[in-house]
Amino acid sequence: MPIYLYIDRGSIVHRLNPTVKVFALFIMFWSVYWVDHPLALLPLGLVMVALVQLTGSWPNFYRLRWLFILLIFFTTLAWMVFYRKGPALINTRIIHLSRASLVFGFGRGLKLAELLATSVLFLSTTKVEEFTAGLQRLGVPYRVGFAITLSFRLVPLFIDSALTVVQAQSLRGYDFNRGGPLERVKRYVPVVIPVFMGALRKANNMAMALEARGFGISATPTSYIDYPIRARDRVAFAALIGLGIVYFLIYYSGWGAISVK
Amino acid sequence: MKPLDSEQRTSTAAAALEEVSFTYAGGDREALREVRFEVRPGEMVGIMGASGAGKSTLAKCLNRIVPRFEDGSFRGIVRIGGRALDDERVCDVASMVGMVFQDFEAQLFSTSVAHEVAFAMEQIGMPRDEIAARIGPALAAVGLAGFDDRDPTSLSGGEKQRLAIASVLALRPGVVVLDEPTSDLDPEGKAEVFALIHRMRGQGASLVVIEHEAEELRHCDRIVLLREGEIIAHGPPAEIMVQLERLEDCGVHPPDINRVIDALGMHAHAASVEEAEKIIRAHFARTATMIGTTPASAERVSPEPRTDDERAQPFLRVKNLSFAYPYGPRVLDDVTLEIAAGEFVAIIGQNGSGKTTLAKHLVGLLAPSAGRIVIGGRDRATLQPAETAHAVGYVFQNPDHQIFAATVADEVAFGPRNFGLDDAEIARRSEEVLRAVNLTGESDRDPFLLSKGERQRLAVASVLALRPRMLILDEPTTGLDYREQRRMMALVGDLNRGGIAIVMITHTPWLVAEYARRVVLMRKGRVMFDGGVREFFERDELLANSSFRPPEATLLGRRFGFTALRPEELADWIKGRG
Repeated sequence: MPIYLYIDRGSIVHRLNPTVKVFALFIMFWSVYWVDHPLALLPLGLVMVALVQLTGSWPNFYRLRWLFILLIFFTTLAWMVFYRKGPALINTRIIHLSRASLVFGFGRGLKLAELLATSVLFLSTTKVEEFTAGLQRLGVPYRVGFAITLSFRLVPLFIDSALTVVQAQSLRGYDFNRGGPLERVKRYVPVVIPVFMGALRKANNMAMALEARGFGISATPTSYIDYPIRARDRVAFAALIGLGIVYFLIYYSGWGAISVK
Repeated sequence: MKPLDSEQRTSTAAAALEEVSFTYAGGDREALREVRFEVRPGEMVGIMGASGAGKSTLAKCLNRIVPRFEDGSFRGIVRIGGRALDDERVCDVASMVGMVFQDFEAQLFSTSVAHEVAFAMEQIGMPRDEIAARIGPALAAVGLAGFDDRDPTSLSGGEKQRLAIASVLALRPGVVVLDEPTSDLDPEGKAEVFALIHRMRGQGASLVVIEHEAEELRHCDRIVLLREGEIIAHGPPAEIMVQLERLEDCGVHPPDINRVIDALGMHAHAASVEEAEKIIRAHFARTATMIGTTPASAERVSPEPRTDDERAQPFLRVKNLSFAYPYGPRVLDDVTLEIAAGEFVAIIGQNGSGKTTLAKHLVGLLAPSAGRIVIGGRDRATLQPAETAHAVGYVFQNPDHQIFAATVADEVAFGPRNFGLDDAEIARRSEEVLRAVNLTGESDRDPFLLSKGERQRLAVASVLALRPRMLILDEPTTGLDYREQRRMMALVGDLNRGGIAIVMITHTPWLVAEYARRVVLMRKGRVMFDGGVREFFERDELLANSSFRPPEATLLGRRFGFTALRPEELADWIKGRG
């Protein structure tokens, strides 16, 4: 299993200044945040599809395809339960299917999918070190930025150790799938404890190794790679500002909302 | 403790500890007691001792991890380049004292090799031009030139550890401390790292190396032997290596060749197998006796214990087994193997050769892509979990991957309880297996407070409680000191004599020589050799391609024409001829 999502393709997006990429992440989240209607979300989705094509990130999206499909499907379904507005086509005690609930639910699903897609796109085109550098440039303290990026490295290690623990306990006859929901959660204790203890030990070793290599001596370390601001970064920055403003205006004008008659 | 002579107490030591004592917070005794230690410029000092003797604590004093990172009470003075450290933090001394740790996974933080080397230089605020200028030479020094853009997670263990060393060397520290840098590596990685350490000698930096295989430290300038927080001996290798009882007493594995020479009643130090041969031949030439010279005419004192009778009724049969992960390369390629009840088989081979993948098939953690596995006459795929557990037990490499219970007794009872045994039977089995692993009387203790060796034995006990007829042990001695390794292997030997078949995955040559009776060598998913241990050690062309080096007693024996498996055996054979 590849540990990082980064795909080394060298597209123009890959070569953007990391600060611009972190800013792009923010603007995409911002734009998605302000609108609810699927039609208002659609242009953003198309921009993303174009970017995925441009950056050659399809393999990551293919890997996560079920996550996207399930996210949209179940979110749409869930809002039919809770969003009980509009004239019903079907109305039972559980499901309230109306044009409004369908549009609203699908919009919510699309929103979540676009947030996820933005993140995947970002990680497909940005190295962890660039992420830290970008955050630093935007005023996030180095230590905080580094902690965020280090967590990307830790997660796969913990998943790996959890898989080993599950194997070890299942060989001792442990059945994880017995009992009701609460019982099942409890049944993960023989996995959680070894993984947690291992994580503590690993974190301690890492902290020691970090300090031994000078981590903490300076609040503003130098960076081995220079990230100059080029013309393309200025253009991208301007375009992102424009996108952010347009989406705020869509919200302000009320076009992005879902109206229930 | 012996006082250092005045010549040694110069203020020009690269690093020195003066009367240093340290007790860990919550510790019941001093981890270091009034230790005086120094390493002079350009010198290589080896530190040896049992687990808990204070080796790591001593090393960590040199870069302030003790007492700044580890809590506890600290007394004494630490000097770097003559200057006494005061309230410096760990990071403040990073450019003076570099440290490489055992856990190589936990000391790599970057997504490319070049970034990893740059990391420490960035931290201390080095200008970009200088960082860029230092990366190339640092990588070249550890033999990783051209690896700049590789992802560190894609490197082998030996490469990862060499990368960690490069990132430390880039700061050009005056002292480099290596804390058991090869404990988690396969023989190839271990050889790579020690070759690098020897290249680093004489290139300016002083080296402090912690290691529990004495053989590896034979070429140090000086060796320091620790026991229970005190330095009990220090001196050149020629002085320390001949103190066999003292080494064993300190939980250190004495060099094979010194053991042979000692068992022959001589008092001499040999720094290599060649030298040992000369010493022995010279000794016997004086007493006018003849010893064989032709390695090809290998003699055997004892017959191979495996008999055709045992092979007639295999307990386990692996037929044409192949395995590949989806969209991945083949990990196992047409493996055919039979193991009889009561056998003791060592599976060896480089990391990634398919050893663990094969073992996981035997317990059903993986299903074959092709071929089949028959256990006790039945297809493995048809066995229920309880039947599998009763047939084959699997002890994972790291005991901490399975230990979770609040007491030793609960840990052992976990398996039997899962299979629905009644309390009386569980109690009976717990007592039986805890006696077998020598943990009787510890049943109420918290497993997390046990030593690494005890935890490893507890893991074995908890698998034994299911009474398997065959036991698979994946690297059962990793991270244990020599004494604990011996104890662990004595246990495994006893189980084997009690009728349990043993399949041991290992990288450690002397374990194979002294305990196994059959060797299966794997390479790239294929079985390259399957036969007796002595027979394996006589196959030079196979050994040359396998990165597996026989123990020195075997290498020395072959120079006399006898494939010995242990030092005492070789000494007896030589005496018999003399």
